[in-house]
Amino acid sequence: MNIIVLMKMVPDVVEPLEIAEDGKNLDKEAIRMMASESSEHALEQALILKDSVGAEVTVAAIEAPELDDALFSASAKGAVRVIKITPEQDGLRADISASVLKEFIKQECGSPGSDTLIFTGSQAIDDLQGELGPTLAEQLGLPFIGVVTSIKPVEGEEGKVTAIKEYSGGLRGEYEVALPAVVGIQAAEQPSRYVPFAKIRAAMKSGSIESTEITPEVEGRGVEIARMYVPEVTGRAEMIEGDPETVAARLIEIFKQNGILG
Amino acid sequence: MEEPVRQTFWNVPHWAEIAQYAGGGLAVIIFLYGLWRHIKRWKSGRSEKLEGTFGHRLTLLVKYGLFQGRLSNDAQSLLMHLFIFWGMAVLALATAIATVDWDVAHLLFDYQFLKGNFYLVYELGADLFGLFLVIGLCIAVIRRYIQRPEKLATENPPTFKIDSGALLLMLLGIAITGFIVEALRLASMKPDWAEWAFIGYALSGLFGAMSIDSIEASHFVFWSAHAVLSFVFIAAIPYSKAFHMVSSAVSVYTGNNIPPGRVSEDNEEGVVGITDFTWRQLIQFDGCTWCGRCQDVCPAHAAGWRLSPKNVVLKLNAESGRSAGSSKPENKSDNGGTPEGLGDVVSAEELWGCTTCAACENECPVFIQQPRALIDMRRHLVIEGELGDTLGEVLMKITRYGNSFGQSDRARSKWTQGLDFKLKDARKEAVEYLWFVGDYASYDARVQEVSRAVARLFHAAGLDFGILNESEKGTGNDIRRVGEEGLFDMLREKNLKALSKAKYKKIVTTDPHTYNALKNDYARDMDGVEVVHYTEVLEQLVSERKLEPSRPLNAKVTFHDPCYLGRYNGVYASPRKVLRALGAEVAEMPRTREHSFCCGAGGGRIWMEDSPDTKERPADSRIREAAAVSGVQVLAVACPKDLVMFQDAAKTTGFEDKIAVKDIAQLFLETLNQEVKDEQ
Repeated sequence: MNIIVLMKMVPDVVEPLEIAEDGKNLDKEAIRMMASESSEHALEQALILKDSVGAEVTVAAIEAPELDDALFSASAKGAVRVIKITPEQDGLRADISASVLKEFIKQECGSPGSDTLIFTGSQAIDDLQGELGPTLAEQLGLPFIGVVTSIKPVEGEEGKVTAIKEYSGGLRGEYEVALPAVVGIQAAEQPSRYVPFAKIRAAMKSGSIESTEITPEVEGRGVEIARMYVPEVTGRAEMIEGDPETVAARLIEIFKQNGILG
Repeated sequence: MEEPVRQTFWNVPHWAEIAQYAGGGLAVIIFLYGLWRHIKRWKSGRSEKLEGTFGHRLTLLVKYGLFQGRLSNDAQSLLMHLFIFWGMAVLALATAIATVDWDVAHLLFDYQFLKGNFYLVYELGADLFGLFLVIGLCIAVIRRYIQRPEKLATENPPTFKIDSGALLLMLLGIAITGFIVEALRLASMKPDWAEWAFIGYALSGLFGAMSIDSIEASHFVFWSAHAVLSFVFIAAIPYSKAFHMVSSAVSVYTGNNIPPGRVSEDNEEGVVGITDFTWRQLIQFDGCTWCGRCQDVCPAHAAGWRLSPKNVVLKLNAESGRSAGSSKPENKSDNGGTPEGLGDVVSAEELWGCTTCAACENECPVFIQQPRALIDMRRHLVIEGELGDTLGEVLMKITRYGNSFGQSDRARSKWTQGLDFKLKDARKEAVEYLWFVGDYASYDARVQEVSRAVARLFHAAGLDFGILNESEKGTGNDIRRVGEEGLFDMLREKNLKALSKAKYKKIVTTDPHTYNALKNDYARDMDGVEVVHYTEVLEQLVSERKLEPSRPLNAKVTFHDPCYLGRYNGVYASPRKVLRALGAEVAEMPRTREHSFCCGAGGGRIWMEDSPDTKERPADSRIREAAAVSGVQVLAVACPKDLVMFQDAAKTTGFEDKIAVKDIAQLFLETLNQEVKDEQ
């Protein structure tokens, strides 16, 4: 099996987010980037398949700050090839990213064969609708299934996998998917593995990141960002402090103010 | 009175004398073969340089080998062991002297030195030490079969299962047959000095009614039994626990007598197969006496987890014996082969149970470094990715953010925002004390309060100090002990780089774990910079009258010695002196100073889940112990992890109302004038 994991870099929200001067983007100097959580799950799911049934895992991502770290880590975990797609992109248009990735897939495999799975993260913090996967599938003319939490080959049938998709309310659907296909991974079957730092360092030393340049062709009009801003404070929580009696008295007062108590 | 003289081989026919030498020779050959196999086994380990001088090692050997100094906190076992060891040693020496006297001096030169007064003292001494031996053996039998402390139970004997029992029986047999032989000889010869051999003499009365013939016949039977037992014992030494006479001595001799807790420096990949341990470690495993003192003080064992340091060492020793005994060619991982892993020998669950508190190592009579061996094996688990989910997550956070909290490294000095004075940035201006704050003291909300208390104290004393702000990363003390040597190296490099750009004279830390890493793990790159704990600085500030507690605490306080401050680095006095200076009465818990009981957080345990079959968490056990000290109101701590662990434990055990858990800095602040306290 041949799995291509398309990782996506997103702003690290542990760090304070700052808006750029133009008011339409994040300040790239001030923020840090990291692989999106569901991208990490996509990679983990690919590695699980590699360990269980044998698969060649390729990881690719569109250039972004700190992408190298993510790719070295993927390489240390067991990806055979890690590829960076330049140049870096501005804006948040999934359709443009998808078209770049489509070109990349074509470049890599011509038309993907029946042993090929293309994984993306199901969502990302800057792609909450999860547009990337379906858009890419559409452009490649391949089937797509998203919000997948488990995937394994159908025994005895070449070119088919079983995917489990999660629905709300605790429901799960089991699908049979014919390959090649694009799969949006929501969560891998197990948490991301820890890769010892020595292995990452070894991957860095071998310097094995490949690079390919694909210039995006901007077609059509996407949604444009008019303004990006930190949510305005609309109300504040009141912390009630003091001994239980003071707290109780204050609570009663609030209930009365709001008409809950007469 | 006829001059007393030794008649070795009295009543022994010449053929039996020859047979005795033949038997003795055979026993020695069997012994030497076994010894050679042990030495071969030791040599299969990796290389390691021995530290320290010959003189120093000899001192160790006398103090801890010949006199078993580490047993001094357990009178019963010290007495038992000294009696058995010295009893056997003196009797063996006596036998050797008699043999030389008879078959060298007498045979070749027709001269005997075992005569006259010297011989009388010899007889007296031999009987006295024989008595010691019997007493020692009786104590041993009582301990092992009547008292039966848990620590003596051995799950995984590396030699034969009934080892201890068989050895005790054999030694008792040797001692008793020896006395009977002597008694029969005295009963027959009736020398007028017989009382000197007071035990043999007393026993000889039992045979008074027997005829000379039957005395002599019995004598020969017992003499033969005594000889056979002795030879069997000698031959059995390398194949039984008795070999610890040799291996423990070598382990003590090669023990560096350094403070506990040293880790392997040059084995990043850790241990895969048994021969990946160094020769010194293999000797240590072989030197284990099965005494179980390590297990008795182990917090993981007390908590009911699977780890027992004793069992780990015994299993490793058994594995070492198996691997040396197998005919397969040696295959070390570093020369390309695939050695058999230790996964079946020591489980991951056992390895992850260790808090690296080093109580075991501190207690071990023969200087075995249990935590080091466990960490060596953990390194391999890390390489294989066999770490629990919670630990893996924390390590990822540390890799990315340089702290175990997974918070932005830019938020590292956010805790200083509650202060009304600014802390110097040691990267920008020279300071006398560089305060290395550490992860917990920087990011944990409860400990941040303590950090601010320390800052206020330093500020009030006019101490010239500063911090590294976001250039500081976790030192990786516990990352190293988790076995993630690569990540530790990365953290060390980053911190050393930050330190090299700062201007300072000394480093002060609030976290004993940080203290240990900087003082020991970073030492070779630190140009001898002095690293001190804040309690040491506070002690100095008090003695220089730069800080004067004006409102004494008037409370009874007990102090918990943090593992990494006490056992690892020997700082016991400063925290207590500071507490006393605050007007506190310091009462000690039963487990105090180097016998302090770990809170359970060290060695990365704070990032792991406790096993569901936990009997009592170490911190709970400790808070109970503190609360049981009569009249104690406060458990004083000097380690951020202790504060967190014990405050939690006080809540879960319901001791919260009985005992307060406070850091020394917080207590200190309470004693100062209101101005300092209110300075916010």
